Amino acid sequence: MSAYIPYFLNSLTLISILLLVSMGMAIIFGLMNVVNLAHGEFITIGAFTLVVVERVGGNFWLALIVAPVVGYIFGLILERVLIRRVYGNALHALLMTWGLSLILQQVIQLIFTANPQSIKGPFPGAISIFGENYPAYRLFLICFALAVFVVTVLVFKKTKFGLDLRASIQSPEMASVMGVNPAKINAHAFASGAALAALAGVLLAPLTAVTAYMGLNYLARSFFVVLIGGAGSISGVAAGSVLIGGLETFLSYQIPVTVAQAAVLILAIVILRFRPKGILPA
Amino acid sequence: MTQLSSLLAANKTASGLRFRPATLIAILLILIMSVVPLFSNAYDLTNYRDVLLFGLFALSLDIFWGRTGILSFGHATFFGLGAYGMAVSSIHFGIDPSYVSIVGLLVGIGLAAVVAALVGYFILYGGVRGDHFTIVTLALTIVANHIAIGWSKVTGGDSGLIGIPPFSIFGFSFYDPMASYYLALIVLAICLFSAIWILNGRLGLILSAIRDDEVKAKTLGYDTKLILLITFVVSAMLASLAGALYVTNTGFVAPDMIALLLSTEVIIWVAVGGSGTLVGAVIGTAIVWWLQQKISSISVTAWPIAIGSFFIMLVLFFPRGPGAFVLEKVKAFQKSREGNK
Repeated sequence: MSAYIPYFLNSLTLISILLLVSMGMAIIFGLMNVVNLAHGEFITIGAFTLVVVERVGGNFWLALIVAPVVGYIFGLILERVLIRRVYGNALHALLMTWGLSLILQQVIQLIFTANPQSIKGPFPGAISIFGENYPAYRLFLICFALAVFVVTVLVFKKTKFGLDLRASIQSPEMASVMGVNPAKINAHAFASGAALAALAGVLLAPLTAVTAYMGLNYLARSFFVVLIGGAGSISGVAAGSVLIGGLETFLSYQIPVTVAQAAVLILAIVILRFRPKGILPA
Repeated sequence: MTQLSSLLAANKTASGLRFRPATLIAILLILIMSVVPLFSNAYDLTNYRDVLLFGLFALSLDIFWGRTGILSFGHATFFGLGAYGMAVSSIHFGIDPSYVSIVGLLVGIGLAAVVAALVGYFILYGGVRGDHFTIVTLALTIVANHIAIGWSKVTGGDSGLIGIPPFSIFGFSFYDPMASYYLALIVLAICLFSAIWILNGRLGLILSAIRDDEVKAKTLGYDTKLILLITFVVSAMLASLAGALYVTNTGFVAPDMIALLLSTEVIIWVAVGGSGTLVGAVIGTAIVWWLQQKISSISVTAWPIAIGSFFIMLVLFFPRGPGAFVLEKVKAFQKSREGNK
């Protein structure tokens, strides 16, 4: 029995990571319908915020607060300058955000060099669970991801901002008649998505190599989580993360990791064949 | 029905007029390229030969993206499958050198066809179109790249494989730059003229109809999913042909031949030439290749930044320039007019 505990916790870790990186994607791509290929770089920006904060003498916890703010401001500026020009045109959004992604990668690499950055994560030790030692940081990550998920769902279901956003997506004209400014709501929604991605970047940083290209690893997977979960539903993200994360962990115990990732992708394509709208459509 | 046939007839004359210059340009281009070796040294010739094969790669994307309006971010996967298919079968299998190139070519093209058919079947038949299709193909390239790096026993991992013999057929080896240049040119010419000929005909019209309104095309009795799938597979096979020939020239294969950057570079080549024009894809490749030589000689990192800026400028400043964007704007305009009615 105890052999299954690390296995179970490993899949929970991956599910939490996917949940974190996909939440912003669920807002920007799932709800707002903007194909954002620079989403990976938002994650990278979060991780590099941690690098900068630690270099100037701060710690992980400070970065956890600073990174979403940086991501939010960055997202807000980007939406105002570029993204708002491509609403409703998927091809333009795709090409523009891909261009943005290439530029961001190179600029980050020019500033910080191509070498992986060293960072100090919190909780170096392990915690014993049912007699099995497990890294404390991963347990923290699992709890934190769950908390972020619950808060995000609550914001979207219960607050005025969430209501306004859902209204202006469903019918921008009707929403503006009711006194909601869709342009403003869109800007804040995009910025929140970027903030969530940056937050994910900080949380991911202690577990992976922090390089300018780190975000790319999560780009395709977070798209798939949203597509499989069902674009337009925030709770679908949880379903998508559990399916993709669970499967990938399960498979990587049986076959090499790269093959497991490929197998999961193939499975996702097969699922899209039979449920084009995802497993929990909005 | 009569309405449709008149529509198709009208379309046909219009497209006949529209494509005649393109065909002329294609003939002119191939003629110019066939006398180029008379005026260039062996080193330049090997570069031009690579441009011709990249042009073939761009042509393969244009056949799918330009005609169906569905953008594939996965074409480097097929180029790479051709490249790795050729490399792995000529290095690992110990095949008789006299026909190893043919086997490699068949393995590479076969692999690409099978992958394209499987992926295409599941997503095209699942009704995945537009941006979702692009995302799935993007993921395909990422996975293919991971496998090329991770499966080092077969693919050589990060460093790739070296020692691929020059292309040879019936004992004749194209190791000489001049010979391999003409091989690339002949293959490109055959593919280009066949593509122009086929896509100017009935199939081209059906693809345009699908791009404009798939449901309508389906209602008229066309198996739109099958037509899209076949176009996708053929396009993938051409990409892998370009990849397989390319590695017989370079002699090595590396993971950056199956990477996302290549997938996006080929989009730029097609966009610069004007997507949907076929011959434009080849010309665009040559222009961008020339620019890349200039920019990369300043700084290596400058090139990805230049591509990125180009993507953004393409959308912001000259969306009306290249062909696909014109069509898109026309469609958007028609839609807004319909909306106002």
